[in-house]
Amino acid sequence: MKDIQNSGKEDGQEKSSRGRKDTCWNRKKNRQKQEIKEEPDLDDHKLSSEDLEKKYGTNIVAGLSSARAAELLVRDGPNALSPPKETPEIIKFLKQMVGGFSILLWFGAILCWIAYGIQYSHDPSSSLDNVYLGAVLAVVVILTGMFAYYQEAKSTNIMAGFSKMIPRQALVIRDAEKKTIPAEQLVVGDIVEIKGGDQIPADLRLLSSQGCKVDNSSLTGESEPQGRSCECTHDNPLETKNIGFYSTTCLEGTATGMVINTGDRTVIGQIASLASGVGNEKTPIAIEIEHFVHIVAGVAVSLGITFFIIAVSMKYPVLDSIIFLIGIIVANVPEGLLATVTVALSLTAKRMAKKNCLVKNLEAVETLGSTSIICSDKTGTLTQNRMTVAHLWFDNRIFVADTSEDHSNQMFDQSSGTWASLAKIITLCNRAEFKTGQESVPIMKKIVVGDASETALLKFSEVIVGDVMEIRKRNRKEMEAPINNTLYPACSILSLLQLSIHETDDPDDNRFLVVMKGAPERILEKCSTIMINGQEQPLDESSAEAFHTAYMELGGLGERVLGFCHLYLPAEEFPETYSFDTDAMNFPTSNLCFVGLLSLIDPPRSTVPDAVAKCRSAGIKVIMVTGDHPITAKAIARSVGIISANSETAEDIAKRLNIAVEQVNKRDAKAAVVTGMELKDMSSEQLDEILANHSEIVFARTSPQQKLIIVEGCQRQDAVVAVTGDGVNDSPALKKADIGIAMGIAGSDAAKNAADMVLLDDNFASIVTGVEEGRLIFDNLKKTIAYTLTKNIAELCPFLIYIVLGLPLPIGTITILFIDLGTDIIPSVALAYEKAESDIMNQKPRHKKEDRLVNRPLAIYSYLHIGLMQSLGAFVVYFTVYAQEGFRPGFLIGLRVDWEKDMNDLEDSYGQEWTRYQRQYQEWTGYTAFFVAIMVQQIADLIIRKTRRNSIFQQGLFRNKVIWVGIASQIIIALILSYGLGSVTALNLTMLRPQYWFVAVPFAALIWVYDEVRKFYIRRYPGGWWDMNMYY
Amino acid sequence: MRRQLRSRRAPTLPHGYHYRLDDQDEVNQNYLADEEEEAEEEARMMGVPNLEKEEEEDLVEEEKEEKEVVQNEEEEGQGQPMGNTWWQKLQLINEYLWDPEQRRSLALTGQSCSLILILYFLFYASLAAVITICMYTLLLAISPYMPTFSERVKPPGIMIRPFAHSLNFNFNVSEPDTWQHYVISLNGFLQGYNDSLQEEMNVDCPPGQYFLQDGDEDEDKKACQFKRSFLKNCSGLEDPTFGYSTGRPCILLKMNRIVGFRPELGDPVKVSCKVQTGDENDIRSINYYPESASFDLRYYPYYGKLTHVNYTSPLVAMHFTDVVKNQAVPVQCQLKGKSIINDVINDRFVGRVIFTLNIET
Repeated sequence: MKDIQNSGKEDGQEKSSRGRKDTCWNRKKNRQKQEIKEEPDLDDHKLSSEDLEKKYGTNIVAGLSSARAAELLVRDGPNALSPPKETPEIIKFLKQMVGGFSILLWFGAILCWIAYGIQYSHDPSSSLDNVYLGAVLAVVVILTGMFAYYQEAKSTNIMAGFSKMIPRQALVIRDAEKKTIPAEQLVVGDIVEIKGGDQIPADLRLLSSQGCKVDNSSLTGESEPQGRSCECTHDNPLETKNIGFYSTTCLEGTATGMVINTGDRTVIGQIASLASGVGNEKTPIAIEIEHFVHIVAGVAVSLGITFFIIAVSMKYPVLDSIIFLIGIIVANVPEGLLATVTVALSLTAKRMAKKNCLVKNLEAVETLGSTSIICSDKTGTLTQNRMTVAHLWFDNRIFVADTSEDHSNQMFDQSSGTWASLAKIITLCNRAEFKTGQESVPIMKKIVVGDASETALLKFSEVIVGDVMEIRKRNRKEMEAPINNTLYPACSILSLLQLSIHETDDPDDNRFLVVMKGAPERILEKCSTIMINGQEQPLDESSAEAFHTAYMELGGLGERVLGFCHLYLPAEEFPETYSFDTDAMNFPTSNLCFVGLLSLIDPPRSTVPDAVAKCRSAGIKVIMVTGDHPITAKAIARSVGIISANSETAEDIAKRLNIAVEQVNKRDAKAAVVTGMELKDMSSEQLDEILANHSEIVFARTSPQQKLIIVEGCQRQDAVVAVTGDGVNDSPALKKADIGIAMGIAGSDAAKNAADMVLLDDNFASIVTGVEEGRLIFDNLKKTIAYTLTKNIAELCPFLIYIVLGLPLPIGTITILFIDLGTDIIPSVALAYEKAESDIMNQKPRHKKEDRLVNRPLAIYSYLHIGLMQSLGAFVVYFTVYAQEGFRPGFLIGLRVDWEKDMNDLEDSYGQEWTRYQRQYQEWTGYTAFFVAIMVQQIADLIIRKTRRNSIFQQGLFRNKVIWVGIASQIIIALILSYGLGSVTALNLTMLRPQYWFVAVPFAALIWVYDEVRKFYIRRYPGGWWDMNMYY
Repeated sequence: MRRQLRSRRAPTLPHGYHYRLDDQDEVNQNYLADEEEEAEEEARMMGVPNLEKEEEEDLVEEEKEEKEVVQNEEEEGQGQPMGNTWWQKLQLINEYLWDPEQRRSLALTGQSCSLILILYFLFYASLAAVITICMYTLLLAISPYMPTFSERVKPPGIMIRPFAHSLNFNFNVSEPDTWQHYVISLNGFLQGYNDSLQEEMNVDCPPGQYFLQDGDEDEDKKACQFKRSFLKNCSGLEDPTFGYSTGRPCILLKMNRIVGFRPELGDPVKVSCKVQTGDENDIRSINYYPESASFDLRYYPYYGKLTHVNYTSPLVAMHFTDVVKNQAVPVQCQLKGKSIINDVINDRFVGRVIFTLNIET
């Protein structure tokens, strides 16, 4: 309770102090912050109900009139959060049309048409080839664009299901009648009744309340029940008790309230719209792909222009030079690659969806892989978001209870008599109940009516003792009474003692049993004896001492400790007919017998410690950012390994060395616990220092704004930051993070909307899977790109040699498209199925700016090594085909001009004469041969790209079956193109003699051998010169 | 391991941004939970010179990429006002080309540079060797006398003379300038057929049968005479203007040479011309020389230009003696005979040729 108030004050102060600090942020950020800072402009909590009636023109008893409500509905719009602004579909589509290489291809297509225009103006009968080529290029762009758009749309559609909310109903008083209307139709001034279990349908100023408690977790992230009354208890509207916030839940009790804000104007609505105000960062993979596109486009354009100039200065007609330019661009641009990347990403997304990681934005698939810092919310993500009994203390001993998800393994000693008494108190002094009709549901999954602590106790006793409801029936409750604590305002369970009086189930014993639970020190005050080993003993100094030690120890673990005591009322004084009166308190409430302590904690999920350890070995820093207490946060951080067992915070060191915290060298402390209060006094440099100098950090009691600041701080360290969260309060940080991960079950819609990824099972461990998949896909994309880039040289060289040496054109533009969009597609996707070469989870995350997707060795090795070897092989096939038909290699050089003339008796090296069309056909045969040669060598290329470092034989040739599907598809497509469609003249392919298919095979083998040698030296001399220059 | 190595290097940024190496290392160090690894880390930190070298290597990478991007952007961004950043980028390129501080050019140190040069020299030398060997074996494997395949060049195409870029014969009888170039072209073409030359170089072989010459492939082959005088009125001997001055033009038709081609079953290939589209009577008479209008069998087979040096292609002259004047007449001349195809849609020169005559008077 205190803390909640504290945090309220913190927020207030923070808002004022942040203004001064803003000078060190740049102006843009400042504006963002400013928005965030904006305090909800509410003073309704201070108004009296009369003023409220006046202000909103309503009547507390009769409510609004329907007509007035309809009017207001028109004025203010429906009471719903407006969905985040969607880019119109057509814009998305057009973006795909002009993104990446599309611009280059459009450029090529337009050049084609211009070339035709020039041709046409010279000779109206000129062939339409260029028009067709332009059309084909345009179609390629449109098709790949449509494909990418479809993939995008598919992945966003998955999310559409989430945003559909179940229509909620609200009980409203209108025209002096109670009506149930859809919550969307609520308007300001409506009088609404809420009861336990309802979600609050709008921001409400409470007018009356009966034991109303709300769970503000969607706002604060902490699911502590908070009492609600109609008095204004705090100046800050967020802290006052008489306002209920939209989308929070009413846990118990009933209340009536007046709607003061609806829709986007609610507090939640404001935070949610903040989230959409935070700019969406480009994903790392998008940056990488952009970088890669720049490289390739740069090479394409500069080569194109260089050779355009060369061609013009070699006295080629400008028209021809333009056509060369198109050829060079088409050869250079890997048309199919971006589509392949999309497919590879969506394959991984699918694989991750199977493991309960739903990816909203395809590119986010890789982001997890490069993540170097995870800022994790505590409640619900690291923990089960369920209070659970963690420790027991009785008989002067602390026992550990099983806090795993199913509680199956309760190991503590249950033979003691004290335990029997304690179990009885736990069972009886509890108002929580299971909802009916859940007989088949496992205990831990049963839905309970009651607050978190009582739920925990109920489930605990149900697991250990058995049927609680039956026991309660046998020990009929005579009376129950909360004993209000005058020191604390009635709100938290800790502030009051709960007492109930029961009959016993022992028929011979007709005494009444008084059981009581509550804050331990208060319980102890009420006790005069203590039960040890089933025997009541007087409460002396030493046992009080033992109690305090245990209490401190459990409290130090960040656990919520409850004390339990009981008293058998003497039958003489309290006969069976005795009537207990709550108000008169006609029963003893002191000199009870203290039985034991129970401590509750929201325990970590059992899979989390392992996952955190894995993250750590994967070089990922896990930072906890929570709204909870520092002590609890630290305890949880320790238990899940965010703060490892042997590391200390500055405070720990100070305590150990018995010196002041200020004297501790901050650098000695590996771990740090920073509270929101400390954070708000820090400059961004100080925050940077903390983030840089401590490997294990916990941020406690943070506000949504601070979460954002922490994320930004991490991003300043050049880190790729993942943020996990579930509440609306997390959504700005989720949006700001490089990858926001929302919880699928516990997560609010706002969080899911802001996130890039949704964990369907709310399991932190799924993130580890995501990291692994992300890293794998990054490595595999490298392979895919290397594979695809390689053949670009083999496609490009023909043009260059054609221009410089004047050979008949070895490969046509259309044929290049057949490789890029035909034979190469499936194999490059197949590389996405490749298994990891080594244990990728034991490596550091890649450095955003250093480990690029396409780096220099990759480009050079693909272009200048393998690519050149490929072109060599292809040229050998080309020369073979021409030589065997009559044009010997030497003869071909410089033949281009005559070859392309309209000359129908061109002599070959044997003196034979060829018509123009016969030569054309021969040229197409050359295209086909070149095409087949590239295809054959691409098979070798595909195999060598399976690994970057290991030998293919280490990786296993047959482990990835899809590779073989890819190879088969390559061969089959080539066969179909040559033999099936070889007679279609428009495709410029011919039926190739079977023997030519094998000419390039030795070159394919050579490529393989060469690459094995490269990998051998990389493995042999890791870190050496060869490794530096040849490892991509 | 690799990843670790990489990330341990200080980030290298352009514009003289220099992170402190040890700071960065400390960050990374903090990532390590394991004490063993920590020790390893320290050991690595001792070897700072080593690290720096790695850093340099990395710089190479960064700056090269940077340069590429800059180039690219420059090309794209032409015409844009040169902002401050452009100037900085230019400086960066300059620094990349020659960095006086670290004494290196193209961001390469001398040693690394020479290693790279050696590597590429060796690599490309061996590639050159490979292609040389391939080409050499290819040439060895292919006979210089006979092409391995000849199905692409079959069936034979035909061509007419005179031919200068166009298949439209437009001329005015009374204006010699309009047809003089045809005459010159024909005269030039027929120089090789001069009777004296043919008699000197070639043999007179018996007509009506193949002139088969057995013997080794590499033996020189004899060629049959095709004398200019065979073309009679179209030989240019009697009428040096080949009939163009009288409006009765001669056009020579030549069948493309194909090594080893023999008209099947011993029938010589014949030529026949007619109006392609339009009134059949636009051409009232054509004289063919030789009168058989065929390519005699004795000119076949052809043995290839290496051994059949003096081979002269047989010709058929078409003398259009009576063609409608002052109007374009499309003429199609076709080969007729076994193993001749003259109706390929895509190739208008296989077994046929189409040209227009437009004789003005």
